[in-house]
Order: sequence, then C-alpha cells, then structure tokens
Amino acid sequence: MDASVSPRHEVMRSQLGRARGLGSGHSGTAHWIAERVSAATLLPLSGWFVVQMFRLGGADYEDVTKWGGKPVNATMLAALVISSFYHAEVGLQVIVDDYVHGKAHLPTKLLVRFGTWLVGLLGVIAVLKLALGKSSSRS
Amino acid sequence: MVELTLPRNSTVGKGQFFPAPAGATNVKSFKIYRWTPDDDRNPVMDTYEVDLDAIGPMVLDALIHIKNDIDPTLTFRRSCREGICGSCAMNIDGENTLACLKPIQDVKGDVAVNPLPHMPIVKDLVSNLDGAYAQLRSIEPWMQSDSAPPPDGERRQSIEERAKLDGMWECILCFCCTTSCPSYWWNGDRYLGPATLLAAYRWIADSRDEHTGERLDSLEDTFKLYACRTIMNCTQTCPKGLNPAKAIGRIKEMQVERKL
Repeated sequence: MDASVSPRHEVMRSQLGRARGLGSGHSGTAHWIAERVSAATLLPLSGWFVVQMFRLGGADYEDVTKWGGKPVNATMLAALVISSFYHAEVGLQVIVDDYVHGKAHLPTKLLVRFGTWLVGLLGVIAVLKLALGKSSSRS
Repeated sequence: MVELTLPRNSTVGKGQFFPAPAGATNVKSFKIYRWTPDDDRNPVMDTYEVDLDAIGPMVLDALIHIKNDIDPTLTFRRSCREGICGSCAMNIDGENTLACLKPIQDVKGDVAVNPLPHMPIVKDLVSNLDGAYAQLRSIEPWMQSDSAPPPDGERRQSIEERAKLDGMWECILCFCCTTSCPSYWWNGDRYLGPATLLAAYRWIADSRDEHTGERLDSLEDTFKLYACRTIMNCTQTCPKGLNPAKAIGRIKEMQVERKL
C-alpha cells in the first residue's frame, strides 16, 4: 500500500474512548424494578378482572354500571388500568431501545412514553366516569 | 432504524467447489465463509470436500487440513488447539463455539463455518474484536484495593470466598457469548455484552477487591448493564460451559439490593 495515502476514517477515536462512551447514566435500576413490580401487581389484578368478567357475563348495561359504581370495583379497575399502562410504558421503552437507533431514538422514546401515558389516562377517566357517572348515582 | 435485510455488499454468494480426492470414502462437505478486503467482491461460501479418514476429529483439524492441503488462502485464527486460548472462536453449524472443541461428527450433514456473527470482518473467519476488547478494558478487570497487601505475602482469601470465583475465572475471553447476543447485535456500541459483564462480576465477587461500589456505579446504565434482556444465548453457546447470564443476574440483584 502507498504509505503516503492513508485511508480516510470517519471515526478515529480510540476503541477505549468509544467503549467508555459518555460513561454510566447511573439509572436503569429503578426501571428494572418497575418492570418486575408492575408485572407482579398485574397478576392478582388481572385474575380479579377475569373472574369479574365471567360473573358479569350476559349482564345488561344497568348491571354493569351498578357494578362499576361500587368503590371496591372502581378502585380495582383503576389499579388494573394504571398497572397495565405503566407496565406497557416501561416495557415499550425497552423495545425502542432495542430497535430504534440514532437520532430517532430519543424522540421515539418520548413519544411512546407520552402515548401510553395518554391512553392510560383515558382508561382512568373511563373508570371514573363509570364510578361517578349519573347511572350509578341513581342506584 | 431496524435493518431487515443485509447491506448489499454483505449478501453472501456461492463460492468455489473443491472436490474430495479420488478414492476417499469418508467424505464430509465444509461450507466456509470467504471474504477478503483486497477486492470489492461480496462474501461467498466455498465448499470443501474433506476425507475425514485423513484428519483428526475436530472441526479445527479439518480447517488446518484445508489450509495445508487444499487451499492455503483460507484465513482463520488458531493457537492452542485445546480450548484454552479462545483464538478459534467461530460460528459452526449455527452456533458460536471453539473449532478445536467441536467434534465434526456432532454436525449432521454439511458443516457450515462462519465468523463470529455481527462483528466487522478482517478476512474470512477472522472477525475484528477490537471493540469488545476495549469494552473489557473499560470495566478495569484487575484488582483494585486501597488496603496495602501484607508485606510478607499475598492477599489472603478464605476457601468460601475463593469458591465464589468458580465459574468465572475459567472464562477464556473467546467472545462466543458476546457475539451470540441479539442485544449486543442491536446495541453493541453501548451494551457491554455477556463476556465483559461476566468479567466485571468476577471482580465484584472477589473478596480481595475493595472497589465493589465503584464497579456497580459504573455498570448502572440503561445500556451498559440493563440492555441484557435475559435471552440466554450466552449461556447456551459458551464452549466452556460457563453461565454469563447468571453473573449478569447477580449484578442486577446487587444493584437492587443497594437501592432498596
């Protein structure tokens, strides 16, 4: 090879410099705990929900609103919705980390977080409407 | 973004065919990845028919036979030929392993031989591991203690303390595990990978090392440590039978333990 012409490299930073990168973000443990705790809370909540749905099978609109108006049921429903979407938010971030790279990474991650937060909020509002709405206060 | 196909210059084509010598009765085909930086051609899979009666039992024996007697241009790393140097790590029959420890008869049909996956290729079966070596260097894999060692001897360790290093000191740094990890394929620039994390835990678990906290600090990162998705390819592929996934799990447990 002609020694006077060295190949052009886009990255000439040392391998160790690249490996160290920006250093440790000192985060991730809380996220890792959140993944597991939300999964664990979903187990009993989902079990409760499935049992309730079987019990309500064939019930009409009035019965369901009456069921949803009870504080215990509304609390359990809201907890289920919050746990589900929290778990989804935490889990979807991991998928973004795996598959979205470069400049798109940060905006995609924020968009996914905001999106799941918004849809989760919609779920909570729906539970509140069921719990505090007109039809339940009548009964 | 997501890459669903190989880049055009990485598409693997069909290569040359080297038939077995006349009269050979115990013939096995080896399909071997070939690529050289000396021209602009795409990689190909060359096929070599090898007379198994003429060689030793391991895949490395076949590769050495091919290089010596069939095609001297074939390039691969090897040194100790007994599973202690880690040089001949490559992908054989779809699994990362050491060519010197892989019996040819364990492979049904043709033997596909590829370089370690998802690393830059130097030539043929030689992959460039500079990035992985630098990551290992970044976790400072040496003893760090502020207490002075005894003036008259070595730092002492109980039998129980020493036993905690079993399953880790045996690692020969062949990087079969790291290059088998999908998470490392996706984020190899930020995720340290199983081999490096096993080495990190080897020092975290060492009773003589006093920088456990600093080590855990530097690992606590969304990618460096937590990009591990417990896929477990590392443990499945390790040619030394070690369990990097367990070591990573222990590091995560310690991170939680010091937070809660």
